[in-house]
Amino acid sequence: MPEVKVKEIKTLSYARPAIQKGYANQTLYVDLSDSKISIKPVSDKMKETFVGGKGYDLWLLWNAVQGNTRWSDPENTLCIACGPLGGTPIYPGSGKSIVTSVSPITGSVMDSNVGGYFGPYLKFSGFDALEIQGKTEVPTVILIDGINQQIRILEVTGLPEDAHGISEILTNHFGEGRPRNISVVCTGPGAKHALIGCLNFSWYDQRRSRSRLKQAGRGGLGTVFADKGLKAIVARWDTVTLALNNPADEAALKKVARLHSQEIVEQDPKQNQMSIVGTAHLVTIMNDYDLLPTHNYRYGQHPQAPNVGMEVYRLLFDKGYDGCWIGCTLACSHGVKDFVPSTGPCKGRKIFVDGPEYETIAGCGSNLGIFDPFHIVEMNFYCDTYGLDAISVGTSIAFAMECFEMGLINETHTGGMDLSFGNRVSSLELLHQMAKGEGFGKIVGQGVRRMKEIFSKSYGVDLAFLEDIGMEAKGLEFSEYMSKESLAQQGGYGLALKGPQHDEAWLIFVDMVHNFMPSFEQKAEALHWFPLFRTWFGLCGLCKLPWNDIVPANNKLTEEPAKVMQHVKWYAEYFSAVTGRKIGPNDMITMSERVYNFQRIFCLKMGFGRREHDAIPYRAMGPVTVEEYESRADRYDKQLRDVYRVDIQGKGTAEKVKILRKLREERYEQLKDAVYARRGWTKDGIPTLDTVRRLGIDFPEVLEVLKAHGVR
Amino acid sequence: MVRIAGREFCWREGMTVADLLKELGDPYPYAVVRISDRLISRPDFGNATVPNDSEVFLIPLISGG
Repeated sequence: MPEVKVKEIKTLSYARPAIQKGYANQTLYVDLSDSKISIKPVSDKMKETFVGGKGYDLWLLWNAVQGNTRWSDPENTLCIACGPLGGTPIYPGSGKSIVTSVSPITGSVMDSNVGGYFGPYLKFSGFDALEIQGKTEVPTVILIDGINQQIRILEVTGLPEDAHGISEILTNHFGEGRPRNISVVCTGPGAKHALIGCLNFSWYDQRRSRSRLKQAGRGGLGTVFADKGLKAIVARWDTVTLALNNPADEAALKKVARLHSQEIVEQDPKQNQMSIVGTAHLVTIMNDYDLLPTHNYRYGQHPQAPNVGMEVYRLLFDKGYDGCWIGCTLACSHGVKDFVPSTGPCKGRKIFVDGPEYETIAGCGSNLGIFDPFHIVEMNFYCDTYGLDAISVGTSIAFAMECFEMGLINETHTGGMDLSFGNRVSSLELLHQMAKGEGFGKIVGQGVRRMKEIFSKSYGVDLAFLEDIGMEAKGLEFSEYMSKESLAQQGGYGLALKGPQHDEAWLIFVDMVHNFMPSFEQKAEALHWFPLFRTWFGLCGLCKLPWNDIVPANNKLTEEPAKVMQHVKWYAEYFSAVTGRKIGPNDMITMSERVYNFQRIFCLKMGFGRREHDAIPYRAMGPVTVEEYESRADRYDKQLRDVYRVDIQGKGTAEKVKILRKLREERYEQLKDAVYARRGWTKDGIPTLDTVRRLGIDFPEVLEVLKAHGVR
Repeated sequence: MVRIAGREFCWREGMTVADLLKELGDPYPYAVVRISDRLISRPDFGNATVPNDSEVFLIPLISGG
């Protein structure tokens, strides 16, 4: 390995402010083009309107880019923020960072949340948010050194390309014997060649003496990072204590933190056992309810699914504490120790793999027709170390595999590779090709939307069919749930601002299995409340898992069990205790509503954010092919007969597919109408003037965007 | 003996999850239970048997993702 050399480009010394009630009250700006470093104050108005975290990110990004800014333009900005509650070491899930930028795959605003220590270390170093603009030709590392109160832009040569290597070397280099003081943000070689690059955020695992990685996966943020010429951003901070956030009411904070923390300790062993198996418990449950995507979302069930379920990963995960933030009792970031990959640059070497979580199991496993737990671990490792989003990798390969199986593409296109479902060797080879920017993997690494264009224009494939089976919306690949039988989840995916990621509204179980929202109005109400409540976590620097993955023992007796109102009340108390701003559950929704509507208008500014952009492929709504229909013929026939009152007597499957499609597409459009009305938007999906005025986001520049789109 | 939700029930040969939930008399629409390390979903409640001396956990599962 070449020697790592560090050369100073620019250093700014600063006086670190004390955190006041969760806020540093300033943000850090770095322009890579001219090595400029500056510190910006946070105004009271900014704090009141945007709260922190994702809200700050979006406001900074809004001011940095124009409507015609493309992802690779120097003015595109990568923003990373924590939030006022972030960095609290005794409240579970309080270490999240939110990253935003203009996305290479959607062209619009992207946000992605991630664990690890970076966000809290950034704040404790004196900054509520970080903006990185510009580009550089030299391999650059930004060091935010809260201990020495210096921001340094460094040219660092000799670093490896892979995320694990970069994280380990920089942790040791800047840790000065205390590696836990370091958190590294970096990507990997894949992000240079693919549009679906992810960011890795590190946290130091004391017991295992290694840097562990979490991912801001969605939307190609790693690609933006690599395109800017960045090798890494490093945050350096010392010991974390409760007092660092200088909470307004420390006693109240301790009380509510203890309640939530203790409840998880007591209830997790009786419920999802996330501290032992993470989200792997979902695999067989999703499979049992026909919700686990298999074979590019054709089907939701497979007899081999238990091979990649909780019972297997329970045995593979290394035992021990796996909290990606200090003191989190949920501690779900599990990993596999001493794994030996069978391919790629680490072939034959023992490595530690962070994961897999449910999404990777489904995306790089079942959705490819692969039910080999070790294959999934290997895909997981290479996605991370190459800096590629495991969800988009999985969904993109699944699409290519279906095209191959249907004969739409063949071995002349794939470079001789057999891309049949279940082909483990080919899926790994594609991943390695993505990282190197070679072969057919380079095409797959552009994501589903661009593959559709290429297959249609260059290979002559019917675009309409590709639109039906290519699982992307707004340019973002779907995450790993079957939404065919849940209208609410179709809305959860299609109406999500950034694209079909479940972190806005995961309603599939409460809608389809529990039937908690049978009416149209209830679904629309859920598609108002849940995205807003989940937005709130992103504003504050929190993980959502402690909210509703472990619930109070008496939650089922409450009026609305899906909302877990006991926890909602605790979060309101938590926010009040840290910031001194007394809020209740309704205030949390209003706080989110401001930022949510602002983000929708931001999408509009970038040329998106209208009704047409909330379209989803028909595969997300129902059976595209005769084979899909016939595999669940009883279900579909019954629905046509009993729900839609269609006389199906004598009708062939192809005709029934067509009738069902028309009905389901109409139903989705009706859902849009209901949700837009509930959100205070026009029929075209744009926030009305009344809505922006009510929320206090009627800034002149916002009104200008609305006016340009006919809202006056 | 079988334990569920802090209560104990007499075990009998061939007892299924559905039988046990009926005896429990809890009207909540549970979708999943766990026996030891094994998850069982509602579609299988009628044919999944409960071993003697086991503890059955009621999984709320209103979340995920």
